Order: sequence, then structure tokens, then C-alpha cells
Amino acid sequence: MTPVIGGLAINLALGLAFVSIILHFFYLRNGDGRLFLSGQRAALAVSLLSILATLILAQLLITSNFDVDYVAHYTSFETPFIYKITALWAGQSGSLLFWLFTLSVYAVITILQNQRSQHKIMPWVMIVMTTVQLFFLILINYVSNPFIPTEADFVVENGLGLNPLLQNITMAFHPPMLYLGYVGFTIPFSFSIAAMAERDMNALWMRTVRQWLLFVWLMLSIGIILGGWWAYQELGWGGYWAWDPVENASFMPWLTGTALLHSIIIQEKKDMLKVWNMALIIITFTLCIFGTFLTRSGVMSSVHSFTASSLGPIFLGFVFLILVVSFLLLFNRKSFLQSEKRIESFTSRESGFLFNNVVFIVMCFAVFWGTIFPVISEAVRGTKITVGAPFFNQVNIPIGLILLLLTGVGPLLVWRRTSNQSFIRNFTTPIVMGLATALVFYILNIRGYVLVSFSLSAFVLTTIGFEFFRGIRSRMTSQKENPIIAFWRLIRKNRSRYGGYIVHVGIVLMFVGFTGHSFDSEKEFGLKKGDSEHLSGYSFTLYNVREEERPNHYAYIADMIVADASGKSIVKLHPEKRIYFHHNPNPERRQPHSELDIYSTIKQDIYSIFNSVDLENEVAYLKIMINPLVNWVWYGGYLFVLGTLVALWPPKKEIS
Amino acid sequence: MNSKNKFYFAISGVIVVVVFWIWWASSNPADEQALVTFLSVEELIDEDHFDRVRLGGLVAEGSIHLDNNNYLSCQFELKEGDYILPVHYTGARPDLFKDGAEVIIEGMYVNGLFEADILQTKCASRYEGDLRDENSYNLDEVSI
Repeated sequence: MTPVIGGLAINLALGLAFVSIILHFFYLRNGDGRLFLSGQRAALAVSLLSILATLILAQLLITSNFDVDYVAHYTSFETPFIYKITALWAGQSGSLLFWLFTLSVYAVITILQNQRSQHKIMPWVMIVMTTVQLFFLILINYVSNPFIPTEADFVVENGLGLNPLLQNITMAFHPPMLYLGYVGFTIPFSFSIAAMAERDMNALWMRTVRQWLLFVWLMLSIGIILGGWWAYQELGWGGYWAWDPVENASFMPWLTGTALLHSIIIQEKKDMLKVWNMALIIITFTLCIFGTFLTRSGVMSSVHSFTASSLGPIFLGFVFLILVVSFLLLFNRKSFLQSEKRIESFTSRESGFLFNNVVFIVMCFAVFWGTIFPVISEAVRGTKITVGAPFFNQVNIPIGLILLLLTGVGPLLVWRRTSNQSFIRNFTTPIVMGLATALVFYILNIRGYVLVSFSLSAFVLTTIGFEFFRGIRSRMTSQKENPIIAFWRLIRKNRSRYGGYIVHVGIVLMFVGFTGHSFDSEKEFGLKKGDSEHLSGYSFTLYNVREEERPNHYAYIADMIVADASGKSIVKLHPEKRIYFHHNPNPERRQPHSELDIYSTIKQDIYSIFNSVDLENEVAYLKIMINPLVNWVWYGGYLFVLGTLVALWPPKKEIS
Repeated sequence: MNSKNKFYFAISGVIVVVVFWIWWASSNPADEQALVTFLSVEELIDEDHFDRVRLGGLVAEGSIHLDNNNYLSCQFELKEGDYILPVHYTGARPDLFKDGAEVIIEGMYVNGLFEADILQTKCASRYEGDLRDENSYNLDEVSI
């Protein structure tokens, strides 16, 4: 019965979405308040029905109702409870429904929050949001319906089960976070279209859009970091970022979104760059839809294409529609958006922000180019070319280092024009620190990008340290506070600024971690019990290979002792080779899976993989990687999130 | 030059430099793995290719032979359409590598043997598979 209700819910939502859009348009023409009210209620109903449909699918998954094709494909009786829920976004139709679900939750919040305060532009906000919902409702209803029943001529005893790769706790958070980010950009986009359509862009609009942007940007960032973490823990190639098309798909809107977060500050403080910001919002949102398309269409083969389908043309059509309509509107409203003010000097903070923006956009273009290059090459020259990680690294490392430099320079520039005096005062120590670091690494015989990256990191950390130091010192003299209270209040009084600095520190730590990648080393070998191998001054001794049967798999476990150069043992590692579905009579259906073991310290990770076992000759085949500074990436990630939360935290209302 | 033009000039400069940089990197890849041509087995056999290429296909049934002295070394045949190509690969094999698996390999074609150094498998068909295969039975067989 319930699958039918689910199907009905998305059907009804589709119809109501049409109705809501039409009612809003009529309201805009004749101003009859009743039309607006009913249109808004219809929109609310669309969201609530979509949420209902998602809950129904979740219930079907939890209760293992294999009459529904989706449930039978992605879960089985053995699937643990938590992964029955995550199966909601494991397949194509489910993840499209989840997209819609997320947008619907956002839409309800937006309606409740803004229906009074933003009365004038709300009809347009609703129209845009509902149109996006409508697009996904069409897909779910007609192209990829999650409520389709299993073929009727046989009974499914048990489902196929969830891919073991996806049975990792990170998978419970990585996709929803990414979705919260991707989908969330719909809200600032809707507000921007609405503001342009109504020619109304007030201070409240500014605040709403900025808060939303910061929130969805945080979600997207967390989603991307968690994705890297999952890949590192689970996929067993020892890295966290492969420039895979789908990773790029999430990185591109992050880049434009980050640019936007910076340039919108200029709009807020100086009322400038409005056209540019509008264009950035449109591009970011389009990239979000494009990203969903890349993930879901199977155009690009990648670790993420757990599905392939015919969604491509429909998605591209929608992307095209968004671009044409939005940019026509933007062009039409150019005079409304243009500002009288001009940037006065190269050494102003405005210009710093502007160059930061240009570099972000350029990097986004570089990633975009590399991602679609195979498609272009095939269309133009007829040869298929694959673009590998070395290409992306080659192109993006210098651009990334320029961004790192700007991270240090930008905050020290003053609005309008930085005087030579303050230039010298602010930059002398950081530059000395940067050069000193460079000298140290030069003496250590480290050159090239690594040297540049570490020196810039030192430079940026010094500039940020100085900012905090100066702020604290001035509070200590003016307010007579002790350093800790001064530090605390300094942040509290100016959350977005100091939150931003904390994010920058996080980014620097991440760059240090990225740079560590160039010192990676690895070795593959076979070992008999009692034998040892050596890598980078460590010895690895295999002392046992165990077998163990567990509820949903069979495991071979390699027990290893890792010892340092002096022979002192540091840690025992136990990588596993697992066979999932080991009870299946058909050997073809059993699935091997390597479970890694990682010894992680601040200096480096020792990463071990159990490749295969030769039971006859009693040889275990192992792969060991030594990855320096990987932990810095995750520590940077924590700081990054902390800083954004500081900036996002609503200020306490002053009681007078 | 007024300040507005100065800025347009500077920004255009940045963009020109970077576009040139991307173009340069596209035609002068940092290493051989940066840009690799994707061929069909037919094209590889018919035409002479001495550079690094990437191929896709199925692992021919029963063609996998592990080296008895070194399990990291293996030979198999890659099948694409009617064409079959012998492949040698050294290194860790992905978990899903087995007979009939859809694989992507990268390497050089030397004297009739493809020497691969990258071997990737596509996701298991199990998760997109036909429900009929395993855990189901026909309604006809059920006595009601």
C-alpha cells in the first residue's frame, strides 16, 4: 500500500508545483492577495508532499519491502539498519528524490522565515524555488521513479544488498552534506533572481543571502572534506583527492561560491560589484545542477558512477535554460545593479578581493576545462583523451599557490588605499618569516613548489597572527582586559572577520598537508610468515595471517609489526582482506574487499593494504605507503569548520 | 589611463596569462599520465601506437594466470568485441578484478603484449544486476 502513496505523493506534488507557479504569476499581474496566499500554500504542499514521499521511501527501505524495485536493488535483510537508511541516496532515483527532499526542507524554512519580512520579492523567490522542484519532480515521476514495483512475475526473497564500499559510516554523512550544499545554493539563487526581477535589493536581502551562502558553503565544504576522508579510509589508493570528474563537480561550485563569499563583502560594505556578484550566484547555482548531472548521468566514468542513465539531455537542457533566462535578466537589469563607485587603487582591500575573485574563477575554469576536455576532444578531433590527476596538479598548483599568497596579502590591505607606511609596517615581519622559512628549506635541500608552499604558509600564518596580536593588544590597552578575555571579545565583536581568519589558518594547514604529498613513498611486496620488508627506514614484519568469520563477511587478517630504524617496534598493523556475501553459492557473487589499517601521527601516516593471499605457499601480498603530513589536511578541515561556525553564529542581540 | 581602465587591463592580463598557462599545460603535459589517449583494442592492433594508451574491455573468461612465484604479477586477455589482447600487469589488483569483469587498463603495447601499469575495474554488476539471478524464484514454481 505505502509504495502507492509514495507514488501518489510525487504525482500530486508535480501537479501542485505547476499550479503554484501559475498562481504566483497571476498574482504578479493583478495583485490579488488571495492568489498569492493560495500559491504559497500550494508551494508549501509541494514541499510537504515531497518530504512525505522521502519518508515513505525510507520506511520501505527500513522494513525491507522488496516489492519495490529500488529497495530490492540497494538493500537486503542482512544490510545493517543505518545502511538501510543511507540506501536512500545509494541509487539514482533515490538520490534525485533526496535532492528534492533537501530542497523542500529548505523551501519550507525559507517560506516560514521570509513570508512577512520579504513580502515584496517572495512571489519571485517562490517561483524560482518551485521551478527547480518541478524539474526534479518531472525526473522522479517520469524518468527515474523510486516507487516502481519489482517486476510482477516473480517474488524477490531477498534484496541485492548495499555495495560494501558504501558501507562506511562516512557514507552516512558525506552525500547528505554535499546535497545540503549543492541544493542550498538554490535559495540564494532564488533570492537573486527575485531581487533582479523586482528591482529591490535592500539591507535585509543582503543579510539573508549572506547567511544562506555561508551556511550552504559550509555544508558543501564539509561534504567535500568528508568525501576525501572516505576515499582515503576506504578506497585503498592512499590518497584523498583524485581529480575525478565528480570530485571536480563538487569543487567547481565551491570555488565560485568561495569567490562569491569574498566579493559579497565588498557589496555589503561598499555597494559595489553587484553585477559581478549576481553573475557569480548564477554560475554557482548552474554548476551545482551541472554537478548533479555529472554525478548522475554517467557521462564520465568514475568511482562515483554507481549508475548510468539517460538523464543527460534533460539535465543539460535545464542547465541551458537557467543560464539563458538568468543572464538575460541580468543583462536587462544592468542599469539597476551598476554602482557609481570605482575601485581607487591597486593596493586597496577592494582590489585584493577582486584579484582573489579572478584567481578563483580562473581556477574553476581550469578544473572545468580538464573535466570536459575528454568530451570536447572526442567531439572535435574524434580521439578520446583521458585527463589524469597529473594534469590537474600541473595546472592548479601554481594557481593554488597564488591564492595562498593572496590569503596573506588581502587582509592586510586597507579599504580604498593602503599607504606605503602601513604597507611596510604590516608586511615586513611576515615577509621576513616567509624568507626565513624558504632559507631553512633551501638548506635542507628542498626546492620547487614545496619550498614555495611552505614559505607562503609561514608568511600567511604570520600575517594572521599579527592581525590577532594587534587586535588583542589594542583591546588590552583601551579596555584594560587580560589577553584571554581580549582574544575572546575580539572574536565576538567581529565574528565574520576573525572567523574568516580562522578559516584561513585552516586552509594554510591543509596546504601544508597537500604539500606533504610530494614526499609520499610506497612499496608492494609478498611476505612469508616471519619475513620482513623495508621502506623509508621502517621495517615491516609479518608475524601471522588469521582467518575469521563475521556476520556479513569472511576476513583474512595480516598481522604485522612495524619497527623503526633502531629496531624498536612502533605499532602493529592489521589490514584485512574481506570476502562479502561469502555464503553465496555462486562464487561470482562473492565480493572481495580490502580493509586498510592506518597508523596515523602528526608527522605521517603508515598506510597498509592487504592485497591478496596465496594460501598454498603461505604468502601475503601487501602494499605499504608512507604519506607524510596527511593529518594536517584533517586538522585544517576542523579549523575550517570552526572558523565558518564562528562567522555564522548569530550575534547576541544587544540589550539596551 | 583612468583607474577603471587600469583595472580592466590588469584583470585581462591575469586572464590572458592563465588561459595561456592552461593551453600550454594541455599541450605540454607534466608527465605521461597527464593526458592519455583512449583507444579501442581494434585501433591498437590495426594501427601502430608506441605511446602510452588506455583501453577498456572485459577480462576474457578463464584467461587470468597468476605468476606462481609472485602473486603481484599476472597475465590475462582483454576482450573488446571480436578482438582479444594479451595483457601483462604487475601490481595490486583491484578487489573486483576477475573473469568477465569490465576493466580499464593503461600502459604500452610492446611486441604483441600489452604491458599495463594501471588496472581499474568498473563497479560490480551485482549492484545494478538483475534481481532474477540469485535471490528470486519464478511465480510459476510457487504452489499457491
